[in-house]
Amino acid sequence: MSNLLALEGVRAGYGQTRALHGVSLSVGEGDIVALLGANGAGKTTTLRAVTGGVRWEGSIHFAGRSLSRMSTESVVRLGIAHVPEGRGIITQLTVDENLRLGAYLRRDRQGVRADYERVFDYFPILRERRELSAGALSGGEQQMLALARALLMRPRLLLLDEPSLGLAPLVVRSLFEIIRTINEKEGVAVLLVEQNARIALELSSHAYVLEVGRVAVEGPSAQLKEEESVRRSYLGY
Amino acid sequence: MQDFLQQVVSGIATGGIFASLALALVLIYNAMGLVNFAQGEMAMLATFTALSLIQRGVDYWIALPVTLVLAFVGGVVIQRVVIRPVERAPVLTLVIVTLGLATLINGLAGFLFGYVPRSFPSPFSVQTVSILGAFASYQDLGVIVVSAIVLVLMYVLLQRTPIGLAMRAAAHQPEASRLLGIRVSWMLALGWGLASAVGAVSGIMAAPALLLEPNMMQTVIIYAFAAAVLGGIESPLGAVLGGLIVGVTVNLAGAYVPGVGGDLQLAVAFAIIIAVLVLKPNGLMGRGSVRRA
Amino acid sequence: MTALRNAPPRYALVVLVVLFFAGLPTVVTSFQSLEWAGVLIFAIAIMGLNVLVGYNGQISLGHGAFMALGAYTTAILVHRYQLNYLVTIPIAGLLTGLVGFFLGIPALRLSPLYLALATFALAVVTPSLIKRPEGLTNGVQGIQLLPPDPPPLLSDVFSLVNGGQPMTSEQWLYYLSFAIALLLFWVAWNLIRHRPGRALRAIRDGEVAAAAFGVNVAGYKTLAFGLSAFYAGVAGSLYGLATGFVSPDTFPVSLSFQLLVGAVIGGLASIAGPLVGGIFTYWLPIVSSQFVSDQTWIPSQISAVFVNAGPAVTYGALLILIMIFAPNGVVGLILSGYRRLRDRLRGAGERGTGQMPPDHQTI
Repeated sequence: MSNLLALEGVRAGYGQTRALHGVSLSVGEGDIVALLGANGAGKTTTLRAVTGGVRWEGSIHFAGRSLSRMSTESVVRLGIAHVPEGRGIITQLTVDENLRLGAYLRRDRQGVRADYERVFDYFPILRERRELSAGALSGGEQQMLALARALLMRPRLLLLDEPSLGLAPLVVRSLFEIIRTINEKEGVAVLLVEQNARIALELSSHAYVLEVGRVAVEGPSAQLKEEESVRRSYLGY
Repeated sequence: MQDFLQQVVSGIATGGIFASLALALVLIYNAMGLVNFAQGEMAMLATFTALSLIQRGVDYWIALPVTLVLAFVGGVVIQRVVIRPVERAPVLTLVIVTLGLATLINGLAGFLFGYVPRSFPSPFSVQTVSILGAFASYQDLGVIVVSAIVLVLMYVLLQRTPIGLAMRAAAHQPEASRLLGIRVSWMLALGWGLASAVGAVSGIMAAPALLLEPNMMQTVIIYAFAAAVLGGIESPLGAVLGGLIVGVTVNLAGAYVPGVGGDLQLAVAFAIIIAVLVLKPNGLMGRGSVRRA
Repeated sequence: MTALRNAPPRYALVVLVVLFFAGLPTVVTSFQSLEWAGVLIFAIAIMGLNVLVGYNGQISLGHGAFMALGAYTTAILVHRYQLNYLVTIPIAGLLTGLVGFFLGIPALRLSPLYLALATFALAVVTPSLIKRPEGLTNGVQGIQLLPPDPPPLLSDVFSLVNGGQPMTSEQWLYYLSFAIALLLFWVAWNLIRHRPGRALRAIRDGEVAAAAFGVNVAGYKTLAFGLSAFYAGVAGSLYGLATGFVSPDTFPVSLSFQLLVGAVIGGLASIAGPLVGGIFTYWLPIVSSQFVSDQTWIPSQISAVFVNAGPAVTYGALLILIMIFAPNGVVGLILSGYRRLRDRLRGAGERGTGQMPPDHQTI
């Protein structure tokens, strides 16, 4: 099976400080992969390296193509949707305008219209709030908007940075259900960064645990979930 | 009363000129949180370009759009060459760079075209027409119509087109916009291009009355500052409104307040700037706090 | 003796510079002395601007207006009220400083950008404001000032070192400017090194943090404005005396630009910067137009235009280039070059321990 996304020995940092010391991981076509670890382990930096938000060395390939020296805009155009930390909602614009920005790169009007309908099927609340300022949405709604906008990009790979952050457990549940549905129905691969290890392991098929910029443990999610030692020392539940 | 109305109409015409330049300022302010002190000089240079075209026998109504396209390209080039290297620098640096740009363009225009004021043709006659009992000159009405067209076009572009949407997104949140595939740096360049073109309109509209010379826009830019500040510096609609208010106020003050003739009208604009900044820094239509404060 | 030997090399440099300026009139002509007085006067005004912009992070594009106020104060007091011109210099400085202090209060509420805008507008309006009270300012006619006579005692001393030639009034104006510049640079230097200077810089680098450390932010910011205006006022007063004539056109917007260019080119937040900036801004237009009109191969029409437009082009281009490539100005460039050289000579061991270059990146 060929990998959709493959990182090998990726080192990255901000100014003098190194955040990643050689991270290798891969995401297969249609997979959900979880990236776990404590605060400051380098999860967000890993995602940012993929979409060129931070300087990195090593190799990152997407669908067989090297992402070396590519700008964020160009990487995104290859079919990677990145929902960043803090969701990346443009709060000064309306919900509808945010969604339209998701389809900014697409030229197939018919397809976009159909996708709008599907997105509203996933998130009916967004249809009601279309004309509202995105800044007026609740945290859960903003996360939905971010996901919806990402879907409108018709990505092959979805990078999600802590979608559960700051949301009520029930909201998190339903959000993760939708992520699963999207993955199954649309065949979008997902690389999921999470602090909430329990729910991330449930959703994903494979998981990596980062510790200070290195992959400490990896394996099938079901297996990691069962291993007492891993759970204790890395996942903390 | 009739005289009063006439003053108002001609105030609206001047207001349209201020509004265009103020809108140019707002465009760049929104794109990068910067007041472009070179905006007036850029407009002046574009006006000289238009004059050169017209003097070479190009029809006014062809020279105008051609100049706007050239001004657009010039704005983009300036952003790429001069502004981009300091894009992330603090405001102070950026302000100094635009001041340098203003000085440079002013000197360049003096070098190329000299300092002798030149008359600039207007396609509108100075004859007057009676509307609602007041007499307005075709010149004033023409300026009002042209300014209105430009402002409406800008509104449609920014609010109703995907590229306008992308520009607004890039201005508000560059990082998030990049992740949506928007080429943020080019959106900034586009903003400079548009601002340059809109500013050029104000220069071309102002030139017949003011006479064209390198320092022509130095006073207009102050009125435009007043207009932009009054409207709330981040609001395009506010800039237009502010432009009209400043235009009418200055005209009326010049006509009716004793001692406020000619160059002291500039002091009225100055007073407006100070009053707004001190009493209501967000202006009439500004939202919340000023960025990069 | 050891104290001298251990003193940092910059003290030797200061002594050299002071000696150079003290001896200058004995080697140049009387007229050239007056030109160098112009340099020193610019340096004073730029130092004032530097206190505000470089050390305190506030911006002013209107210091030409403060100079105008200083110059007119002196002109009016001397011309109408027959006051001794020496007395009017501190009066001009204090009055301008007071005005600056009060302008600093509304400025407190403005973001740097708005402050730039407001002061720019002030610079543009100034000439037309001056024209109005014609009874006081003589309108567009301006006011003539007679060249002051040098004090006899000084003149005698000067003639001893100058081969028996008595001091001309140009030379006297030079020494007057020199003495005042020396005093004001010394004051600024002391201020910057001590508590007020630290407070000013703390505010520049972050107002919230400064306030948290107990710095009176509002007080120091208005003080910086007042002090800065005081320098500009004194410079304006001297400027009026040196040119012998003040009129609204003596103080165009471009004068304010020129001062800013000087501050930036010399190097913000540095004591030597204003002197470098003063030399630069004063001589650049003169030298560049002189150079062009000397080139016989350039047609006279073109060189005539260049005399008008050339300085603006050069100023503008330089301002942009310096901001892009050397935001710490000439002094910053020299300092960082000197440090690099010293570090190389001492070996790589001390790399990174050097003082950071003056940082005006945080405003």
